[in-house]
Amino acid sequence: MSVSRSRLAEERKAWRKDKPFGFHARPETNPDGSSNLLRWKCHIPGRPNTLWEGGFYPMTMEFPEEYPTKPPKCKFAQGFFHPNVYPSGTVCLSIINEEEGWRPSITVKQVLLGIQELLDTPNPGSPAQSEAFLLYTNNRAKYNQCVKEQAHRYPPG
Amino acid sequence: MWPEVTADPAFKDKVSSARVLAVGAGGIGCELLKTLVLTGFKNIELIDLDTIETSNLNRQFLFRKRHVGQSKAQVAAEAVLQFKPDVKITAHQANIKELKFGVDYFKGFDVILNGLDNLDARRHVNRLCLAAGVPLIESGTAGYLGQVNVHVKDLSRCFECDEHAAPKTFPICTIRNTPEKPIHCVVWAKDLLFPRLFGRQDAVTDLDEQRKEVNGSSSSQADGAVQGPSFFLQKQGENSYDYAKRIFRRVYEQDIEQVKTMDELWKTRRPPQQLDLKEILDQQTLPETANGYSSASRALGLTESHKAWDLCENARVFLASIARYVDTRPDEIGTLVFDKDDDLAVDFITAASNLRALAYGIPTQSHFDAKGMAGNIVHAIATTNAITSGLIVTEALKILANDLDSCRETYLTEYAERKHVVMLNPSRPSQPKPDCMVCGCSMLSLKINTTTATLATFVDKVLKSRLSFNMPTIMCGDFLYEEGDGLEDDELEMYSSWLPKTLSALPGGGIGNGAIVDVQDQSQHFSVKIVVSHQDNFDEEKHPDGVILEGSAKSTRQAHHASSSANPVAELSNGAQSCPDDNEVVIVGSKGITGFKRARCDEGDDDDVVILGEPPARVGTTPNGKRTRL
Repeated sequence: MSVSRSRLAEERKAWRKDKPFGFHARPETNPDGSSNLLRWKCHIPGRPNTLWEGGFYPMTMEFPEEYPTKPPKCKFAQGFFHPNVYPSGTVCLSIINEEEGWRPSITVKQVLLGIQELLDTPNPGSPAQSEAFLLYTNNRAKYNQCVKEQAHRYPPG
Repeated sequence: MWPEVTADPAFKDKVSSARVLAVGAGGIGCELLKTLVLTGFKNIELIDLDTIETSNLNRQFLFRKRHVGQSKAQVAAEAVLQFKPDVKITAHQANIKELKFGVDYFKGFDVILNGLDNLDARRHVNRLCLAAGVPLIESGTAGYLGQVNVHVKDLSRCFECDEHAAPKTFPICTIRNTPEKPIHCVVWAKDLLFPRLFGRQDAVTDLDEQRKEVNGSSSSQADGAVQGPSFFLQKQGENSYDYAKRIFRRVYEQDIEQVKTMDELWKTRRPPQQLDLKEILDQQTLPETANGYSSASRALGLTESHKAWDLCENARVFLASIARYVDTRPDEIGTLVFDKDDDLAVDFITAASNLRALAYGIPTQSHFDAKGMAGNIVHAIATTNAITSGLIVTEALKILANDLDSCRETYLTEYAERKHVVMLNPSRPSQPKPDCMVCGCSMLSLKINTTTATLATFVDKVLKSRLSFNMPTIMCGDFLYEEGDGLEDDELEMYSSWLPKTLSALPGGGIGNGAIVDVQDQSQHFSVKIVVSHQDNFDEEKHPDGVILEGSAKSTRQAHHASSSANPVAELSNGAQSCPDDNEVVIVGSKGITGFKRARCDEGDDDDVVILGEPPARVGTTPNGKRTRL
């Protein structure tokens, strides 16, 4: 088994033993029942007592063959509303940026918890989309409303 | 240096602050706990899942009659605290295989001491000790035999470097058609006939399939056979003795008659003879079922348990025990499983197996012997447990003294010339086997019919029963299967829907010829690679479950090692036959031998112990030259 796959098998085991409440993460299952260990389907719950509460946000983690030397790419749906998410849905976060904070010892769980935290504490220093970024900086009321509407579009279950 | 170090006050402090885990609070466990605290150990954790049974009391001396039904671990801890109140014992009534006793838990101990009763748990503890890097002292006893082994990662063999015999199973055709030994008859009675009559009524067993055409049998009987299971159940309004006689005639007259027609079986064997019930019973009467006895043999006045019954007595016990079940315990029929402490069940097994033995010309067994065979009972001896526990503690002290050079594995064997005289044979622990599938890096090879064997067979027979996996995760290409904790409901549902599929039909291209399967365990930090090769047919005698599993000598850890076994391929597939002497006792621990009121082995004072010093000539040059310095 390749390094990336053995590491992901370990990540999966560790996840099952100790997964944060409300989160889901597992290798993607194809329609024929086969699994793709390099592509995980995840759900991140919005933190309680934040604008993001009540949302259950689907995301995929794509692991390159060079994982864990290189970080996974984390993607929400296209057009996901958040200042640090590119229009393609790709998350911009230092700990999963190979040039910045990525270290091979960072676990799937740490990445997912990091992204959950990012939801309510966006980083205005590194904008990735104009819509959410401009509203966040210029019109907070409208921004808050957009976040709440988005939470409604991703109900749990 | 050992043993002078034991007198050193600093070492005594080390012992009193050492943290030890004792796994098992049974025959060995009670002795061990006592010896530990009297040696000066003060921090002990004790794990045992079981509760105390009456039959434990003769040798598990920390328990009293009033404790029956309570946790062994708990009561043992309380009993020891009574005479040694200044020690700390944490008792867990739990299964050592639970996830909470994981690697981190094991890392909290200086040494692990096993007093276990089954291969599965021993392998599990071995794997965790290796993962945690904690020394393991492993033990086992069976009657007069016993052994203590020291397993230190990378320095000595792990428990699984050597093959350990799994409980013996027999090819089904031997049991069904061609028994040759008393044990074959006992297995037939216990595993085929008893469950057919008193177990789940909807189950179809090999007994149902057996009869297709019976020469010369009447049409009504043939019909009964076609209807399958119903034949073996009591009919509406049928008198209990009529029912019992009907069963007798079926299994000892008609079935025997039919098996005799299979000519090819009898070319080299003596064919069996039918038993004629009428002739056997002659004028003998059968006891009323409601006469107050729970045992059929006692109701017939057969109270001498060491004396084998004659043909007529066996037939009467057979009929009386069936009648007694249906008349006095009707509610249990359909749910009964054999229990060696159920006198009526032992009556039935004894009589049923003896009648079959008589039909096949095989020696019969006494009630006592049949019970021993059916319950896989080896008579436990308290002295053996005490000696073994003393040796465990001695080795634990050497580990704490960090004097691995002095560590010994010790085998308690019987003197060949004088039975019941015990010899202690110490030897240096062997070096690890590079091709061990657990502490080395070996690949296993599996031959299986991938087009007929299901995932369930692979998981249960190969992974769980042969390899002692607990919560396997299986990966093969794009195929992923998981068991254990932390799975969502939909995942569980998906995985269980695959179990009935054949290996080649599994998602992601299937597990076919040449597939390399990675198997990991969520609770053991253990993984193996299995190379699968497809094979259409298997010799039913040699491989009744259609599986050949072999270790391969391929190793990535180190090149061929002088001390490695000459033929690593041989042993995995047929454990019991090729296992060397020094492994045989491992599989039986104190639990397998509980539950028996012993009449014989405790008699007299003949269990002398002769302790021999270490014979210098043997060190490092034991017969096969395997034992080398640590």
